[in-house]
Amino acid sequence: MNTTTLARTLPSTPSAAPAAGSPWSRLRALLIRRNAIGFALPVIILLVWQTASSRGWVDPVFLPAPAAVARAFVTMVVSQDLAIDFLASLKVVSLGFFAGAGAAVALGIAAGLSQRVEQFFSPTFDIVRHIPGIAWFPLIVLWLGLGAPAKVLVIAKSVFFPVFLNTLQGIRNVDKNYIDLAQVMTLTRWQLVRRIILPAATPNVMVSLRYAAGLAWALVVVAEGLSGLEGLGFLIFRAQGLLLTDQLLVCMVVIGLVGFAIDRSMYFLQRRVLRWKQGYDG
Amino acid sequence: MTVDTGRLEVEAVSKSYDTPGRPRLDVLVNASFTVEPGAFVSLVGPSGCGKSTLLRLIAGLDTEYQGQLRLHGERITGTSLARGIVFQDHRLLPWLTLEQNIGLILSNAPLTPEAKAKTIREHIALVGLQGFEHAYPHQLSGGMAQRGAIARGLVSQPELLLLDEPLGALDALTRVRLQEELQRIWRVEGVTMILVTHDVDEAIFLSSKVIVMNANPGRIVRQIDVDLPEPRDRTSTAFAALKREILDSMGERHQAPTLAET
Repeated sequence: MNTTTLARTLPSTPSAAPAAGSPWSRLRALLIRRNAIGFALPVIILLVWQTASSRGWVDPVFLPAPAAVARAFVTMVVSQDLAIDFLASLKVVSLGFFAGAGAAVALGIAAGLSQRVEQFFSPTFDIVRHIPGIAWFPLIVLWLGLGAPAKVLVIAKSVFFPVFLNTLQGIRNVDKNYIDLAQVMTLTRWQLVRRIILPAATPNVMVSLRYAAGLAWALVVVAEGLSGLEGLGFLIFRAQGLLLTDQLLVCMVVIGLVGFAIDRSMYFLQRRVLRWKQGYDG
Repeated sequence: MTVDTGRLEVEAVSKSYDTPGRPRLDVLVNASFTVEPGAFVSLVGPSGCGKSTLLRLIAGLDTEYQGQLRLHGERITGTSLARGIVFQDHRLLPWLTLEQNIGLILSNAPLTPEAKAKTIREHIALVGLQGFEHAYPHQLSGGMAQRGAIARGLVSQPELLLLDEPLGALDALTRVRLQEELQRIWRVEGVTMILVTHDVDEAIFLSSKVIVMNANPGRIVRQIDVDLPEPRDRTSTAFAALKREILDSMGERHQAPTLAET
């Protein structure tokens, strides 16, 4: 075996950054490295939007110009405490996500390791799962009021099921050959779970966490639109009622960008946790 | 009970599957042989002859069988670190580095962490994988991964190493190289090895004894002591004659005469 050449190509650190030139060339290098092609479509959409507004193709009440939306953003940040609403939404979504995902992973592992646990929960869960979070919401608001706890609970519920099912499935999919291997290694049950079953199930769990994080963020907008007096979802529906289309668009863009940021961070977390896994790069 | 000689004794071992509504499936019928300490024994035969089943029984992965399987005169009742095994797929865990993979088998070994680190290092060196301690399995080639698996099989210092077609999935060149490597390791470590293979050349090249098996039902048809001088020359007439003898007893020559022509 040719050990020396392989050793050199092993855990590859990203190749050294290109030599720093002027700020402009550095920016260009960055864009090339970060696949600038992804920026093309947003730029085109912005251009079309700007043209449509400045040519008067659409009434500003229905679609204000990008510049007007940018001004509305500044106004909302400076004098209307957009940050407070933003943080309110973020807090609800984080609490809901962590509570739901935490419970789901714990119960998913328990059900994955024991058929009895699975049999105990699964009929109930399969019924509850099919009642959408939003259908639970009116009842939960009756119990908990219009504040954050009701929204946290609904989001936790919606996060719970995809993560629970994927954790369970991830454990059930563990290669039987690995169980043989554990037996040969004379591992204890606990060692088998910790060193083999849980790592083997991690890819499934990570995918479902990423999916659930996006779901949670989308839901917070709906939940805030339905009840309460703060949060991005509340602002968006209020803006519609007051015909403040520029503010409505600000909220939409912020929601979109935050959703994007959440998804990307989950993606990088997934990459980091699963760095032992090699997939098809495309 | 026999006296403790460190010998593996297989006495009239049979294994069958009874599925309701289907005829009884005899995977292995009345297999008997002994393996002396320090020997290299090959089980060779076509697929379905029960050779892998037999190896799983010796490993203790399967404890339901008729007959007697004894090591040191004691019946095998389960897996043990005294019997290492290398599978056809390297079966290194993809989330552990080479070093962690090899170390995992020592989880319950009565060694200090320093002693474990030392023996892991020695076994990585034994299979020539220095420099790859922190590599993940997907970063290793097929042959290197299989070397890793051999190191893992040996690191717990077993008296018996079971090899279940460990070279079957490798390309021809890598396979020949690893056969020589395996032979070297067998000499250096002095561990008893039992190899399952369908490659007759491989069996003759490596073994002190070849056990020939056949299918329908799975059974042992011949046991041949190999006393060719070492290093063995795969192209010598004696080698070819022995190969012909083995293929004959498998009944291969009548069905596929070309196989025996070397």
